[in-house]
Amino acid sequence: MLPLEEILKKLHDAVVGFDEAGAAQAARLLIEGGYDPLEGIMHGLSTGMDTVGALFKQQEYFVPEVLLCAEAMNAGMEVLRPHLQASSTRTLGTIILGTVQGDVHDIGKNIVRMMLEIGGFDVHDLGNNVPHKKFAEELARTDADLVGVSAMMTTTMMGMRSLIGMVRETKPHVGVLIGGAPVTREIAKMFNADGYADSAADVVGEAKRVMAAVKSA
Amino acid sequence: MSKKMLIEALRCNRTPRAPWFPYACINCAYLLGETADRYLQDPELIAKGVEAAAKRYRADGIPLVFDLSVEANAVGCELSWWPDNVPSVATHPCAQMVSPRQLGLKLPTKDSGRWPVLLEAGRLAKPRLDALDCAMVGLYCGPLTLASHLAGVRIFTDFYKNQEFAHEVLEFAAEVNAVSAAFYAELGCEVIGIVDPVASQVKSATFREFVTPYVQKGIQVIHDAGATSMFLICGDCTKVMEEVCTIGTQSFAIDEQLNLGYVRDMALRHRVGFAGNLKLTLSLSLGVIPPREDALVSLVAGGTHGFVLAPG
Repeated sequence: MLPLEEILKKLHDAVVGFDEAGAAQAARLLIEGGYDPLEGIMHGLSTGMDTVGALFKQQEYFVPEVLLCAEAMNAGMEVLRPHLQASSTRTLGTIILGTVQGDVHDIGKNIVRMMLEIGGFDVHDLGNNVPHKKFAEELARTDADLVGVSAMMTTTMMGMRSLIGMVRETKPHVGVLIGGAPVTREIAKMFNADGYADSAADVVGEAKRVMAAVKSA
Repeated sequence: MSKKMLIEALRCNRTPRAPWFPYACINCAYLLGETADRYLQDPELIAKGVEAAAKRYRADGIPLVFDLSVEANAVGCELSWWPDNVPSVATHPCAQMVSPRQLGLKLPTKDSGRWPVLLEAGRLAKPRLDALDCAMVGLYCGPLTLASHLAGVRIFTDFYKNQEFAHEVLEFAAEVNAVSAAFYAELGCEVIGIVDPVASQVKSATFREFVTPYVQKGIQVIHDAGATSMFLICGDCTKVMEEVCTIGTQSFAIDEQLNLGYVRDMALRHRVGFAGNLKLTLSLSLGVIPPREDALVSLVAGGTHGFVLAPG
């Protein structure tokens, strides 16, 4: 039986090396070794994606590599998820996710969804090109804590401002995070968003921060 | 206004001033008080809109349209229309890993998709723009972005996992590009540009294998027609700048995220014209940076050798 640290490294390396079969195999080793699957998720797969995020920021990895790494992470998750204990699936919060109306780009948003799910959030993904009305309906239906919205284009990004305004008016206790290629922290401030993540690697930390801030307000 | 100056700059020659090339498209609809969807489906409105924008902005060049959905729609992709934006591509026929050839997708003709509207718009607009000494620029969706329209997001992982399929889709995209280039050349566009924003999202080796070969057919058509070629790329393309400079077009245009001084040095080293770098978001859209100040920064950085002032 391999030591836990070694298996976690295998998981990490499989994600970074976009090795789906390797990730699934390492995940099975973890289960067969009697280790906590949550350990594998948080300190194997998730740290692997943190490394991927860093490589993306350094422009060593690009969209194709990040997607392949996400697929490897998913392959590991598929093995580990059924073994998670009910207590370890307690959610940190509920977030509604979507790409702003008019924008069909969702690669980044899909990776963000995976990271948030791994990070312990209950994610309601509305997909791409989501009208404000649909965000509002889902907010009413789920009583979510957070809304996460992305845009790939400058033109569609402008729609975020009115979406944030709509959330402020109807659900002032809900935190809003924004992200996407044309979005910056400065723009997030201008649009009165509560949070901003410039990559999927940062989103879980930012979501936690915004939740804490909104709850204490 | 001077189309000759624009062409000279794009061919990396010195000019008395930096020519000005605003990428107005939906903005033209706004100038006419029209919605984007109505505007883009009416040739008279498009011709009226580009003329109005060329006059108002005193442009040396103006695109007939700046809309990357045209090529995808012409081969069968459905579109979603918006009142305040260009249409988005709603369907991806090759998404189940069925190649264009297997699907029986046909190359566009002048009757395909929105080409009848654009060709009529170009026919109406050209003499009006000539009267203003403003170049009419034809812009078409580059092969990688078109491949992503045809195959969806999967194309990115197909570069690794299903390379044969990826190449098949790109070969078809290259043929479609050549058709677009020919249409714009026939309209008399002095400048024809390949717009491939997705190309900034891949590493240089992927660019060299999956972008560079597939723009060549279109470039050949542009050059055979005597027009000036341009490669427009959005996003942070720092890591593929070398590939952009050597792709084979006479000029290129980059995103506001890039440092124009660095871009200038690269462009001049490779003897290609370059366009940029007004900040679309912080300056033109949101006014966080005063547009005049932003323009001055670009003009100083760009100089008057091979430089065209344009949005980033």
